[in-house]
Amino acid sequence: MSGAIEFREIDKSYRRPRASAPEVVLRRFSLRIAPGELVAVIGPSGIGKTTLLHLAAGLETPDHGTVTLGDAANPDHARLGMVFQQPRLLEWRTVGQNIDLAADAAGIDRALGRRLLQAVQLGAYADAYPLSLSGGQRQRVALARAFAVDPAIVLLDEPFSALDELTARKLRLLLQDLWLRQAPTGLLVTHNTLEAAFLADRIVILGGPPARIVREIKVAAPRPRDSEDPAFFAIHREILATLEGLAAPARAA
Amino acid sequence: MTLAAEPLRDSQLARSGPAPAAASPDAARPAGSPITSGARRALAAFGPPLAFVLLLAGGWELMAASRPSPLLPRLALIWSELIEIVGSGDAARQIGITLGRIAIGFALAYVIAIAIGLASARSRLAKSFFDPVLVLGLTVPGLVWALLCVIWFGLSLKTSAIAIALGVAPPLALSLAQGLSAVDPQLVEATHVYRFSRRARLRHLWLPAITPYLLSGARLGFSFAWKVIVLVEIFGLSSGVGYRLNSAFSSQNVEGVLAWTIVFAVVMAVIEYGVMQSIERAVTRWKRVAEV
Repeated sequence: MSGAIEFREIDKSYRRPRASAPEVVLRRFSLRIAPGELVAVIGPSGIGKTTLLHLAAGLETPDHGTVTLGDAANPDHARLGMVFQQPRLLEWRTVGQNIDLAADAAGIDRALGRRLLQAVQLGAYADAYPLSLSGGQRQRVALARAFAVDPAIVLLDEPFSALDELTARKLRLLLQDLWLRQAPTGLLVTHNTLEAAFLADRIVILGGPPARIVREIKVAAPRPRDSEDPAFFAIHREILATLEGLAAPARAA
Repeated sequence: MTLAAEPLRDSQLARSGPAPAAASPDAARPAGSPITSGARRALAAFGPPLAFVLLLAGGWELMAASRPSPLLPRLALIWSELIEIVGSGDAARQIGITLGRIAIGFALAYVIAIAIGLASARSRLAKSFFDPVLVLGLTVPGLVWALLCVIWFGLSLKTSAIAIALGVAPPLALSLAQGLSAVDPQLVEATHVYRFSRRARLRHLWLPAITPYLLSGARLGFSFAWKVIVLVEIFGLSSGVGYRLNSAFSSQNVEGVLAWTIVFAVVMAVIEYGVMQSIERAVTRWKRVAEV
């Protein structure tokens, strides 16, 4: 069962070495992602996109404000899956064990993970060690692991940016398929505007610093989607125009 | 990009050939007679050291035959001494006593090393505090620890245990601290995101990650421990391989000294190659699979 993700009035700053003042990344930042919705966050590098993901994952805590995941009445028990830029698998555990360990930690039957391994076409590799797989195969294992916990929330941190475009395209399709099966709530951070248009229900463009929402674009296309849909290219151009508009004052300065 | 038009099939991504579920170094071996290739491998592994031992024995025998002296006993004399100490069961008894002392010293060293290694990996202050201690521990010769412990603790089990622990703990602690620092923080993050319990993190992340470092520290420590225990047994104990070596030395029994040295060297080789390296191979199997 999916649940909402809510950032409410978040402040976050970092102390950098040799910097006189802390760097403010988020100031009174709010964003709500409805249950079952997949929101893509796009913006310039260093604007705070990854900070949002880390806050949602519980890897960092806000200086002010609250991050709520899942059911408001029972927020701490929202099951979380996350796909990172790198697969982040335990190299000394087999593919199957990597998935089983995540399922065990979430209290989910291992059978779901094994079915997902078949779904990502790696059923025959359950006893293989991650280092014996290609980069694309490892990222597919990471996808299977994220969904093997029967997640209410899935966080995606530039999940395909380290892969070649051909592999990335196939994995986007796979991700769409998994999303259709389990319908979790999602937050995707990406620099790839077409990827955002293809995968997301809503695209949030950040400007700043500190990060603020400068534009939100709804993607109305039903799933399963066809990446050749001209609407995606229109959205892609719209995002680029917004990002260029953001960059122009900086260049002028 | 054309995504929906393509099926989920991923044959272009998957590596050709069978899944590496059964991947092992053997998988890369071309088809052929397993007996022939097994014999070839055994010859490659044991041939050179065996050739060295034979050459050494031949050279010794030549020297002993050309300069007859009680200081250079012939191989036959050394062999008969060896048969006597092994056949009487004395070799097994004394090796057992010495190994037991090493095991106690090692256990103590592990306790000290884990405490110092964990503290050094977690805190810069602790690392600065312990660094001089570790450097001192690494540079002090085993002979000094052996002498000091005999002086301080006299003829007791404490002597060998503490002398070994003082010498073995520094390399172990350094290896442990290095291993802990080398664990990828991104993996640690992933286990937090997936809400691994403390026990699961320890068992599936920290222990496998630091095991190669612990093993390399243990191997260093083991070679140190052998030297120290022999010295302690020579100086201050009334049993063990070191004591027997000293007894043979006191009675000018050169073949006895050599026979005990051979027993000692064989046991060391068995532990190094048969135990330590086997454990290392087993726990780092995942790395070798990737190299195939």
